[in-house]
Amino acid sequence: MDWTNYRSVAFDELIAADGGPRPAAGQLVRYLAKLSDRDVAARQLAASAIARVSGITFTVYSDGRNVDRPLPFDLIPRVLARSEWQRTEAGLEQRIRALNLFISDVYGEQRIFKDKVVPAGLLANSVNFRKECVGVKPPLGIWAHVCGSDLVRDADGKLYALEDNLRIPSGVSYMLENRIVAKRVFPELFETCTILPVDEYPMQLYETLAALSPRPGETPVIALLTPGVFNSAYFEHTYLAQAMGIELVEGTDLFVGDDDCTYMRTVYGPQRVDVIYRRVDDLYLDPEVFKPDSVLGVRGLMRSWRKGMVALANAPGAGVADDKVVFAYVPKMIEYYLGEEALLPNVPSYLCTDDGERRYVLDHLDELVVKPANESGGYGMLIGPRSTKKQRAKFKKLVVADPRNYIAQPTLSLSTVPIVTPRGPSPRHVDLRPFILSSSKVYVTTGGLTRVAMKRGSLVVNSSQGGGAKDTWVVDTEDPG
Amino acid sequence: MLSRVAENLYWFARYVRRADNMARLVGVASQLQLDLPRSVKFMWQPMIDTVGVAGQFKARFPDAAAAPTDADVMRFLLLEEANPSSLRHSIDAAREMLRSIRDTLPPQLWEVLTDLHMFVADDGEKRITRRHRVDFIAHIVDGCLKISGLVTATVSRDIGFQFMQFGTAVEQADMTTRIIDAGASGLIAPRKEEDRETFRNLQWMAVLSSLAADRTYRRHVRQRVTGEQALRFLLQNYDFPRSVHFCLSRAQRMLAAFPARPEVEKRLGGLVEAIRNADPAALVRKNPASFMDEIQLELGALHGAVARAYFNVAA
Repeated sequence: MDWTNYRSVAFDELIAADGGPRPAAGQLVRYLAKLSDRDVAARQLAASAIARVSGITFTVYSDGRNVDRPLPFDLIPRVLARSEWQRTEAGLEQRIRALNLFISDVYGEQRIFKDKVVPAGLLANSVNFRKECVGVKPPLGIWAHVCGSDLVRDADGKLYALEDNLRIPSGVSYMLENRIVAKRVFPELFETCTILPVDEYPMQLYETLAALSPRPGETPVIALLTPGVFNSAYFEHTYLAQAMGIELVEGTDLFVGDDDCTYMRTVYGPQRVDVIYRRVDDLYLDPEVFKPDSVLGVRGLMRSWRKGMVALANAPGAGVADDKVVFAYVPKMIEYYLGEEALLPNVPSYLCTDDGERRYVLDHLDELVVKPANESGGYGMLIGPRSTKKQRAKFKKLVVADPRNYIAQPTLSLSTVPIVTPRGPSPRHVDLRPFILSSSKVYVTTGGLTRVAMKRGSLVVNSSQGGGAKDTWVVDTEDPG
Repeated sequence: MLSRVAENLYWFARYVRRADNMARLVGVASQLQLDLPRSVKFMWQPMIDTVGVAGQFKARFPDAAAAPTDADVMRFLLLEEANPSSLRHSIDAAREMLRSIRDTLPPQLWEVLTDLHMFVADDGEKRITRRHRVDFIAHIVDGCLKISGLVTATVSRDIGFQFMQFGTAVEQADMTTRIIDAGASGLIAPRKEEDRETFRNLQWMAVLSSLAADRTYRRHVRQRVTGEQALRFLLQNYDFPRSVHFCLSRAQRMLAAFPARPEVEKRLGGLVEAIRNADPAALVRKNPASFMDEIQLELGALHGAVARAYFNVAA
């Protein structure tokens, strides 16, 4: 693989500005340089074949049938130095502690609003605030047990938090599978470099869930609640249930009894469930409380949860902090609840509810990224520098009509990682989604899922919009190994 | 064990076994065709009747004058999506069942089924032509064997495993009666009277070999193949894993692992009795078809009882 003509317009994760590899990526880049084009093509082919057969897919439902689309996998891993990762980890841990305290506060005393650190109006207009959760005290005071935070690196080489996914973040199975593929394709590198393992995630998740059981002392019965085979993340649901050895259930497999306990229908008859890792959205969880026509949920589940008979992860209502306007206040939350300064900087955000900031946003639409507060999957946003006049006019109207629902951020020059192309390595923009688990302790994945925009110049990394994935290596360069 | 999972495991096993039998049956039939002189005509219709899709076949080929060709029949039995008994339908149904229970089984099963699914979907049309058909059948049978090997070698003997084995046993019992049915209804129509005896026996040999029973039969029976002996072997043999008696008594032993449900035990007990008491000599003199039909109906009722007992658990 020939690196001589490799140049990136942004900060590149593997290759420094002088054209040489960054220290943590040295072994990888030198190894790749020794491979012929044929070797590279053969490895890429093998990687795709492994990924295809092992079913690393996301499911698209069309024409009444399931279509599994493979997630494009690029061969070249993204490399992070261990020392940098340790700092990032500490920042993520701090963030999730503050976010959990915030959610508890929202459904409890609401001190942060009374103290005017965060404006109270935020809740009134929050689509993810659930009044049904007010006053509930979930086990250990934790609401967001699984968090997927998106990090991006800007031109200054620093990692910034872009958003926190606290509802039902997905992608961790791709992180685990990508490693399996990488190990099969680059066994030599795993022998000679110190690449930290990622595979303890399922056990950590199991322990996180088990700690929530309302019947401590007994082996908890834990189930993963999936919307079913038509859900785009179904592969991940089966993957995690299998890796943890827990039951994979659908709404129809469960019912809430007269004693308010939650039960599974089994061949032996009803069996009580202690903890549910639910991958069904709040509003579909319980037709008794939320959408009355939901067939994905379980009638009475909220009753069972509120009475403490079953634990739900993430807790209903946790999404109140998964809002791009709330996001802007996270550094203040960290100060307020923990008395600490944020270790991991936020991507700067302009709040459209603030008159001054909104004016700035409207005047600089051609430079900024404007995002709706509650969309995920990269939908409904305006990327200023690449927008048309018409699109900007449309967003101007949207922002003025509903300022609470929009934030704006500077257009970052997302960092790049090379991908394999027929014409040699070529830079593509990436982000990074680490997963953070919280119950009796906090655990952060080693690295995370690197999502890559497969199209040249594109900044959109979402799998639903043509993004792919890479393995992410946290490399210990100080290990004498 | 979730009721839904138990049900899917049971159906997964049934569809895999159905695909295996269908592949073998078509494979043997197309071999048999090659052995026949011009004076003897091979009949596909009984095969289509016995897998219960005569209606769909008629709908697909309504014009009796333009008789469907060998290739048409092959496509119908192997690839037709609208045919609920086609090989493709069984493989895809097994894969759909597996999709929602993947977390309970070894991941290699998914790899094998995905391979089979793509093998049939990608270029099944080309592979079922006379030139490639033997390889096609062999690949499918290999895949099914790999699945049952993976299941027996790596799946924990929990109750889910028992539901799979139970499904396999019920499906095999059913398919064995259907294959007997096809054989007895005459796959071959000789035009000359003197050929009748020879080809009738050839037909029973085909039945035996599509159940992978030809060699075992010889070892057990040690005489030339006759209808009566073949029938006795396939219905009542105690040791051969595809005989109806073997499958049903195996299912009976598995019931011990399930929560006790009298209706299921009674139905299964009745079936085993009926097979034990059958008189192959008498059956072969008349036509075994009506007896096979009865057994198939009883197997259907057994399935109904199992579904009520374990799969549809009320709150």
